[in-house]
Amino acid sequence: MILEMQGICKSFGANEVLKQVDFRVQGGEICALLGENGAGKSTLMNILGGVLPADAGVIQIDANAVQFHKPSDSLKAGVAFIHQELSLINDLAIFENMFIGRELKKKSGLLDVARMVEKTKEVFDRLELRLDPQTMVRDLDASYKQIVEIARAMMMDASIIIMDEPTTALTDPEIQRVFDMMRMLRQQGVGIIFISHKLREVMEVCDRYTVLRDGNMVASGPVAQVTTHDLARFMVGHDVRTESLRQSNEAGAEVLRGEGLSDGVNFKDVTFSVHAGEVLGVTGLLGDGRSELFQAIFGAAPYSGQVYVDGKNVKIHTTPQAIDLGIGYVPRNRKENGIIKDMTILENGSIVTWPRISKFGWIDRLKQRKDFEAQAAGLHIKYGRQSDLITSLSGGNQQKVVLAKWLTAGPKVLILDNPTQGVDVGAKEEIYDIILRLAGEGVAVVVLSSEAQEIIRLCDRTLVMYHGSIQGELVGDAMNEQTIMHMATGGAEAPVAAEE
Amino acid sequence: MENKTLQKDNLARRFATQWKQNPLISTALVLVLMVIIQTAVMVAKADPGTSLGLSIFNNWLNILRNNAPVGIIALGMTFVIISGGIDLGVGSTLVAVGAMVMVLIDGAPTGVLTKMGITGVPAYLIGIAGGVLFGAVLGELTGMLIAHGKLPPFIATLGTMKIFRSVTQQLMQHANPSVPKGFLNIANYRIGGFSVLPIFYWLILAAVLYLVSKRTTFGRHVFAIGSNVKTAKLSGINVNKVKRRIYALMGVLVSVAAIIQVSRIGSMDYASAGSGNEMDAIAAVIVGGTSMAGGKGSIVGTVLGMLIIGVMNNLLTLFGVPPFLREAFKGIIVIVAVLLQKKEADA
Repeated sequence: MILEMQGICKSFGANEVLKQVDFRVQGGEICALLGENGAGKSTLMNILGGVLPADAGVIQIDANAVQFHKPSDSLKAGVAFIHQELSLINDLAIFENMFIGRELKKKSGLLDVARMVEKTKEVFDRLELRLDPQTMVRDLDASYKQIVEIARAMMMDASIIIMDEPTTALTDPEIQRVFDMMRMLRQQGVGIIFISHKLREVMEVCDRYTVLRDGNMVASGPVAQVTTHDLARFMVGHDVRTESLRQSNEAGAEVLRGEGLSDGVNFKDVTFSVHAGEVLGVTGLLGDGRSELFQAIFGAAPYSGQVYVDGKNVKIHTTPQAIDLGIGYVPRNRKENGIIKDMTILENGSIVTWPRISKFGWIDRLKQRKDFEAQAAGLHIKYGRQSDLITSLSGGNQQKVVLAKWLTAGPKVLILDNPTQGVDVGAKEEIYDIILRLAGEGVAVVVLSSEAQEIIRLCDRTLVMYHGSIQGELVGDAMNEQTIMHMATGGAEAPVAAEE
Repeated sequence: MENKTLQKDNLARRFATQWKQNPLISTALVLVLMVIIQTAVMVAKADPGTSLGLSIFNNWLNILRNNAPVGIIALGMTFVIISGGIDLGVGSTLVAVGAMVMVLIDGAPTGVLTKMGITGVPAYLIGIAGGVLFGAVLGELTGMLIAHGKLPPFIATLGTMKIFRSVTQQLMQHANPSVPKGFLNIANYRIGGFSVLPIFYWLILAAVLYLVSKRTTFGRHVFAIGSNVKTAKLSGINVNKVKRRIYALMGVLVSVAAIIQVSRIGSMDYASAGSGNEMDAIAAVIVGGTSMAGGKGSIVGTVLGMLIIGVMNNLLTLFGVPPFLREAFKGIIVIVAVLLQKKEADA
């Protein structure tokens, strides 16, 4: 089976997301679909999956034009879309998930469990899977959930499977398991479209690649002929940096200090300080308590212990109080904590400073717009109209809008929690530049991150947390992935300036 | 030729996107349609002896005046629902505030203010101020239960609904305050022969609250909280304070409605006054396109929603629909309105 999309165009309002895009995949190959956030990957796949209508262009299967108006149309034509957020129901068994919405029934109207289990087994056998169909989905690890989704697609006789970033939530051995499954499907003649940000994975498992940038198809070809570096360049449009960005800024006066901070659950007895002009990294593994710690300092949760701002002892109970003291906090999980989806780009980018720019409660709308425009220009935010909803923007641009609202507030201390989460390579570098610029301007920046590379490239000094306590502090060249990992898993502080 | 059809197509498409983006258009169209039917019926039924224009005008004044008190409550309810809350206690707050106002302005020699020698306009002003303040305090208390007590708004206001009315009835069972004649002017004073004051109060408050909802930090904070309370908090909004203020504002608006009620009738039945107002106000807000899930809605929509319900009641009277069936039509219009809005959201 050969699937071809030709001249696909799609716009959302003034925002042209796809411009005459061609895309092709055939049975028995794994094709990587690459591009930064906002390049149009999801839109293209949503058109193929029957979720969105295209404005123009044709879709052909084996040279016959097809029309997909709804997801079931695509499915009938043999195209299955496995979304990033899996659609399995945890509280049902595997076989129930396999047949959800299309349950097999006996004549009496009762569910025909035996037959559903049997059919599920058949598919599993074909995929050489040894899973009991009666297992509850919640008892499966993330890779097997992904695999069950694939099996479901196979049961519906899919000949093209779209996998949207299937490996984001997986550990290395789990990823290998999913890859093995993908290779087996390839052997059985199934075509797979693999969407991922992880270029190494693309090199490992894919046969061909197609790169989208700003809604255009910019490169396509066999994976064997390119390197990860090439792919990154296609995606971003220029060479990608990997070098350290640290500048030896003279750290200024102490701006924020915490002494003996505890909340009784997530962090205990934490003492640290940040100085003007420095980038302090805070890292650790899941459950290290760093987000909770800094949210408490930001006034979003209760804490015990002492906080000093500019040497003055303060007790922060609410977030507006923290802002008045000059603290800013860019949260993790943009969708849940960073944006307000029913509000416009302008409002999302200015919400923090409303109280400051209003007189008797009335917002100075001219000032609001000017402040935002100044930040939008400095941050290179790409948007249609300020009155468009924030959700019309790509992830990277949304994150920049979140940054804009904080930059407008001009904080003395800016805490950034996973600032590049779900952001593509290009936007990531831009965010790093912004962070460094702020430090250069004398802002004390705290970067919370679980990405060791990010910490190493960006920070002057790093605190490694383990189970709610600071395990140790690393400065300058002492920061490397091994030491950070060693301490993040509870290892003692490495000897200062290792000799080798 | 081709060009023309293209233009037409563009126009149609633009209208379609407008329709989708702005649910108020469909709400307004429904209202216009109902008004056309209503006018047609009135023309058809016109009595040759009287002036048709005057009777249509009077009919409109009646609709607006009768719906003004609930319309004012619905304005506050819009803020409450946009913030993701609900207030079932407004009918009972109305009775409590009404009782407070009547006790203050009691014209009998034993009246609170009368005893101190304060009568006439000063007494009315104190009565009004006292009523509004009392309403604000009751609202603030409700808001505290919801914000600091972390009670779901439905539960908290189900409680206040029971408490406020019951306590008012107990306290007022032997009291029989008399409302002075002068106080009746607040709602009944005629301008150019027409009783229009309640309509003015409603429309002025609607205009002010429209601006508050669009242009003030408070108004925008209400939307932010309703859409995403976590982000709102992490953007430096004192969520508890805003919630308290929302319910306090609700209390103030209920007080205005209570004052209009007391002034219009000159008395209040503590057992039945205001009961059902909460549901009527919620219905107006919903018909006006405000989302029960919070974060989305508008004051203009609520005014239109109230008018739709008002005009429909009027139509039912004109058509001679039996009184028992009227509530059913109200129910139908709420359900149809939400179904229409759902269609738009899905499209």
